[in-house]
Amino acid sequence: MQNKPESTPIYSGPVVAASLSLLLAFMTLMISHHISRLSPGLDKLIHSYGYWIPGSTGKGPDGSIGSYSGKETLALAVWLASWLIFHFLWRRQDLSLEVWSRFYVIALIAITLGFFHPLSDPIVLFIAGFFGLP
Amino acid sequence: MSTGVFLHDHFGKIMIRSQIGIAATLLLLLPAANFFYPTEYSLKAGIHGVSAILSIVVGTYLTHRAIPLIKDMPVHLESLRRWLLAATLLNLAGAISGNWIYMRYRGQNGPRDWILEQVPFFHNVLMEFKEFVSLFPFPLMLSAAAISYYYGPLRRDIARFVGITILLSWSFLLFGFVAGLILTKLRFV
Repeated sequence: MQNKPESTPIYSGPVVAASLSLLLAFMTLMISHHISRLSPGLDKLIHSYGYWIPGSTGKGPDGSIGSYSGKETLALAVWLASWLIFHFLWRRQDLSLEVWSRFYVIALIAITLGFFHPLSDPIVLFIAGFFGLP
Repeated sequence: MSTGVFLHDHFGKIMIRSQIGIAATLLLLLPAANFFYPTEYSLKAGIHGVSAILSIVVGTYLTHRAIPLIKDMPVHLESLRRWLLAATLLNLAGAISGNWIYMRYRGQNGPRDWILEQVPFFHNVLMEFKEFVSLFPFPLMLSAAAISYYYGPLRRDIARFVGITILLSWSFLLFGFVAGLILTKLRFV
């Protein structure tokens, strides 16, 4: 309150909000992708979230993007909702970007590797085994 | 278009701009040729190719703008914001057109069917990876643009983070581009 208008304090919270929400979105993309591969029923469930996207269903030469639409929708929803929430939570907080950027880059690489099937499939099947899924 | 404190002389500028102009035009011919390919999907393929190449060109230019951001050198914020916005829109166009052409990729007797029959690895590993990481550059670039617009002058640590985000976005963009090029060379829509 005692700050002069020309020296408004700067908070790094919104930076963390913008980037953390992205990590959550990419993670949603990865998890929903692996879930959809476990069974046709789960694929249909994931697919159903994306029916609003034109070209999400259909057969023939023109094809469709299938359950990819559902994965995109879920990721989009998580991204925008979490960005909004984190932004309002942290807009007046100054967080260490030095620590965060290291975590961010490492987490992003880890999530990326999660899309590399030779590496991720054994882990997914191991986890799915606990839930009695094929 | 300042990239930092180093300034080129007049001759240097002409040389650099001519090189950029020639290279960009020739590079654009590569996907623009898709518009004339004998397929019903030439429009979709052309739009995706052109937006991908333009994203690569602008994204690569932005990696040069990222260096002064990371090294705490003076930057022209207004110009940086506009370039980030342009890159965001181009990446969005790439993602949307990618979704559009992906429909035919998965269509009956489309590239996926052919690849699964001939060389399944390219679909099962490369495409399954590419289709997702290609979605990364747009939101990453959007976050960099949003941060640059949200703050006034960028504090050092924030500028650094924007620079890192640009480099990350470009890395995914380049990977998606190369993977897309490999797949399209393997079997065109």
